[in-house]
Amino acid sequence: MVFTPTVPTDKDLHATAARRSWLRKTVDVIAYPYRASSGVARGMLVAGTVMVGFMVVLAIFAPLLAPAGFNEVETAELGAFPKHAPPSSEHWFGTNVQRFDVLSRVIWGARTELQVVLLSLSLTVVTGVLLGLVAGYVGGWLDRLLVLVMDALFAFPYLLLAIVVAFLLADKIPQGLGGGIAVAAVAITVVYIPQYFRVVRNSTISAKQATYVEAARAIGAPPFVVVMRYLFSNVIQSVPVIATLNGADAILTLAGLGFLGYGLQPTEASEWGYDLQRAVDDATAGIWWTGLFPGLAIVWLVVGLTLVGEGLNETLNPTLRVRRLIPVQLTSVGTTAQEPAVAGRSSGRGGEDA
Amino acid sequence: MAGRSGSLREYLLVRLLLLVPNVFVLLTLVFVLLRVAPGDPISAALGGQLPASELARRRAEAGYDRPLLVQYVEYLGQVLSGDLGTTVTDSRAVTDILVVNGAATLTLTVAAVLVALLIGVPLGLLGARFRNTWLDVVIRLFGVLTYAAPVFFVGIVAIVVFTGMLGWLPASHQASPIMQYSVESRTHFFLIDALLAGNTRAFVDGLRHLVLPAMTLGLLVSGVLIRLIRVNVAQTLRDDYVEAALARGISGRRVVLSHAFRNALVPFVTVLGLQIALLLGGAILTETTFSWPGLGQQLVQYINARDYIAVQGIMTIFALVVAVMSLLIDVVNALIDPRVRY
Amino acid sequence: MRPDNSRLVRGLALGIVPLLAFAACGSDGDSETGETGSEQQVPLIFGTTEQFSEIDPAASYDWPGSMLQINIAQTVLEVPPGGNQPEPEIAESCEFEDPKTYTCKLKTGLKFSDGSTLDSADVKFSMDRMIGIKHPEGPWSIWASSLESVEAPDPQTVIYHLKYADATWPMRLTYPGASIVPEGEYSATEIRKPSEGAIGSGPYKLTKFDPDQEIVLERNEYYKGDKEPIHDTVIIKPYPGSETGLKTAIEEGEIHVAHRTLNSTLIQDLEENGASKGVEVLQGEGTGISYVVFNQTKGPFVEKAVRQAFAYLIDREKIAQDVYNGTVEPLYTMVPSAFEGQYNAFQEVYGEKPDPAKAEQVLRDAGVSTPVKIQLWHDSGDHYGVESADMYQEIERQLESSGLFDVELKSAAWDRYSADYPTGAYQAFQLGWYPDFPDADNYLSPFFETNNFMEKGQGYSDKQMDQLLAEERSTVELEDRLPIFEQIQKKAAEDVPTLPIWEQKMVVAQRKGVKGVERTIDAANQIRLWLIDATQAQ
Repeated sequence: MVFTPTVPTDKDLHATAARRSWLRKTVDVIAYPYRASSGVARGMLVAGTVMVGFMVVLAIFAPLLAPAGFNEVETAELGAFPKHAPPSSEHWFGTNVQRFDVLSRVIWGARTELQVVLLSLSLTVVTGVLLGLVAGYVGGWLDRLLVLVMDALFAFPYLLLAIVVAFLLADKIPQGLGGGIAVAAVAITVVYIPQYFRVVRNSTISAKQATYVEAARAIGAPPFVVVMRYLFSNVIQSVPVIATLNGADAILTLAGLGFLGYGLQPTEASEWGYDLQRAVDDATAGIWWTGLFPGLAIVWLVVGLTLVGEGLNETLNPTLRVRRLIPVQLTSVGTTAQEPAVAGRSSGRGGEDA
Repeated sequence: MAGRSGSLREYLLVRLLLLVPNVFVLLTLVFVLLRVAPGDPISAALGGQLPASELARRRAEAGYDRPLLVQYVEYLGQVLSGDLGTTVTDSRAVTDILVVNGAATLTLTVAAVLVALLIGVPLGLLGARFRNTWLDVVIRLFGVLTYAAPVFFVGIVAIVVFTGMLGWLPASHQASPIMQYSVESRTHFFLIDALLAGNTRAFVDGLRHLVLPAMTLGLLVSGVLIRLIRVNVAQTLRDDYVEAALARGISGRRVVLSHAFRNALVPFVTVLGLQIALLLGGAILTETTFSWPGLGQQLVQYINARDYIAVQGIMTIFALVVAVMSLLIDVVNALIDPRVRY
Repeated sequence: MRPDNSRLVRGLALGIVPLLAFAACGSDGDSETGETGSEQQVPLIFGTTEQFSEIDPAASYDWPGSMLQINIAQTVLEVPPGGNQPEPEIAESCEFEDPKTYTCKLKTGLKFSDGSTLDSADVKFSMDRMIGIKHPEGPWSIWASSLESVEAPDPQTVIYHLKYADATWPMRLTYPGASIVPEGEYSATEIRKPSEGAIGSGPYKLTKFDPDQEIVLERNEYYKGDKEPIHDTVIIKPYPGSETGLKTAIEEGEIHVAHRTLNSTLIQDLEENGASKGVEVLQGEGTGISYVVFNQTKGPFVEKAVRQAFAYLIDREKIAQDVYNGTVEPLYTMVPSAFEGQYNAFQEVYGEKPDPAKAEQVLRDAGVSTPVKIQLWHDSGDHYGVESADMYQEIERQLESSGLFDVELKSAAWDRYSADYPTGAYQAFQLGWYPDFPDADNYLSPFFETNNFMEKGQGYSDKQMDQLLAEERSTVELEDRLPIFEQIQKKAAEDVPTLPIWEQKMVVAQRKGVKGVERTIDAANQIRLWLIDATQAQ
């Protein structure tokens, strides 16, 4: 894995920020990459933030912005919707085979995508980071076992993994716990846990050997304190970059699941991938608007997230910024005997070149 | 020299031996996913709806009520003996699926990689050479776009344009039915069969059917290539010896091509090989979009039919492919660059 | 026919192969085999999204299975194209000696495609093995319910001894599942695997069965009968799960005829824009129906008033127009309009338009508290077509707009769905039906008889209904049966064991210049390949 920021790059920030309010500190942390970046990286960061921000606005204000509900086929103002109506002043993006308003589906879809991705990212980060910290810190057979399992998961074609998990869980999660949204989120989670695990574990191992951690252990700090105080804050820095890039990837995986008919039930929410599946028939019949807009929405959001991730990557990743001469690493720190099979895998589709 | 080749042999041997535990772990994963994970394939998609007695009957019928260890050993034995069972829904040997549909998938993926190389390598090199200029930005944007556009969306757009509007290219299957009928299936690779039969018309027909799916999938992979080549070449371009070469007055183009590119090759091959996951995932979607009779399309159909034997068999095939691919990558890298040893 | 008989609805299209493929075929074929146009003309290419899986009639209880049997095998009796009465096929003549004994004399000189002789022993063997094997997905119950035993006293005579007087027996013998297979070649206890190859006595023989790539039929030189295949070779090209693939294939001229299944969006486009691409759409009488089944063993639908309230609230015309673009028609009884004996009882009892007031009243009278929480299941679209979900969303809207129901929609893939509903796992669910034999009884007995195929999924049992059905089945003359049919359908509207929604037209798309397809569009809902002439296809 490439992200191994063992040297905190923002020490100064922390030093001064300590005196400020918590809120101010947060703002600083968020603003840091924007201030520290320059040139193309800043351009990507800003453009990406604007694109993602737009989608976030759509998602949050969907009830206000969308002309209709995601499964409504008539409203008081517009009356009953026609089927397959081309874009018009009444239906800006037209209507689809189910007589849904495509614009509304796109807007509500933003909410679904972000919900699923946020849920799956939280699940992934929590699980992946925890497992990685434990494996890296404890070491021994537990570490080896976890590495083995994670490598196997990682080696598998991710979409295949997501399909199988979505298939196995289909209908297993009750509506109260999120229903199809949760199924989709868990399916995606399983795909991405290994990446976090790997980064965090390797960072933990190298951080563990750092002088200050060894010192803390030497003076008898309990393991929990050592992990939380000295490792967690250090290791967690690599997460935002991967999380953003994975977010983009997760959108694509979700859309892929929807396109194949897994994950969300069509009645539960608006999902772009499902709408694209329904648009395949329309496309050959010359009805372009039912597929084009959901497709562009996916591209828009994925590009936005990718730009943010790339921008962050170039700004925050000291390996790339400071020591550009190091080529892509093939081995991770502390690989085990099993690892060569899949070593050198970076964060999926998103981060090969960091 | 002698010492080096000796260690190479040793390395390759170790690497080959490592294949065994690798495969073992992957097979275990497949087994655990399908049998142990919450929601076995029997009750999948029917959360608690089925009466307990009926559920028990179906589990017994499928042999799922026996101890897990017994099932596990039986499964490993099956894989070892090369018999992956027979599908429930249409009584096909899973190995037959591998041969017939695997050939279609291989055709598609090889063609897609060719397309990806054709697009990705020149653009990646250009991006590296003109790093941080407007050209680089455009190329990177293109890379981001190919990655961001879902492969089925690109496929749909391609069908609308090239089949629907222009009528230039066919949008489904490997060949026209009449061509498929006229060519005897020997290798199951339609294009090769057509050549063996000396049937150029069928060959051209097969190529025409291949264009849209291969372009669609190839575009997806090309984005990765562009990024990869751009960054690695750009990095090596900063190496001292490259700077020295430039200082000696060797042209920029030659430096890019002969020095930087070769040195970027190892990580390139590695990551490219690792894109097998991306490629196979993309293949599932591409095959579904274009009715391409490959493993991915079969898998989706069998999943929909809840044919767990077929699903397990195809998953096993994918697992083996992944393991073998990683072996090949390591071997190729060891041959390219002797420094690559673990 | 069981609902597993394939997708209920949409029709299909047929296509003709374009010039390119034609020319290509001729010349390429030559290079390999040296065949020339004069001796072996263009194969007929038929495309479908249906999944072929079995070659054994004892396991063929779906549309693709029947389609294969009808072309490669023979039955004792058959309903000729466009007809509605059974006529002899391998029989010379058949008659009831008494109401429980049906005797057939077979033609002489009949042969199977392997050259062996077909006689009464094979007829007896085929029936006995099918009922003996009882394949879970097979059609054996069509005959097992009324057949006591089969006797073959001499090579040309078959005698069916029935358990009770069954006027529908001759019709039952026409179902392709009753196709004759050779004794000795086929196992008496095992289903014949596709890899072993099929042997039949029909106008075609099966020469290649690769359900994922192609199925090839060739003229059966041993066939003895009146059917004169126009094409020596027929290629059946599967487009599994890809209606769009099927549509583009006919537009590109890769296939001559396309049938089952093109959804309503695709059909509408072909009707409007197909002409410029050389495609025509043919529509005719259909026999497929779609209906809702109510589970009366447990859950909210045990209460008759809930079923009746449901019936009051459904707007069939809206479903037909909005969801299916008019490719289906509202159905107010289980029997489609193509059959004598149809009586639109639901229209009479519940009216044509939804009536929320009556629905509310019937619930109030029964003391049912509203809204009634119900779960409604439909297939995930892999069997009844992609419109399933849309139709049930529409039904959900219709039910909920009254405020009387609170609907939760559920779906499952067909394979699981078809295994689950008979166990009583669903409260109410979607099914479709194609007839096993073209008789109104086949739309009544299967659904209303005690212990029918839906088992615990429906659980309807009514003595009076059983009596009426038995009476109708044992009555030979049509005019005597009509009043009984009417009584049955009225009672069904009162009890609502099932709720009919629509009937479907048979839709076939073909390339311009293809002839004969119209002759196979009839109540049998089958593609008789020997009738189709694609030699002039564009």
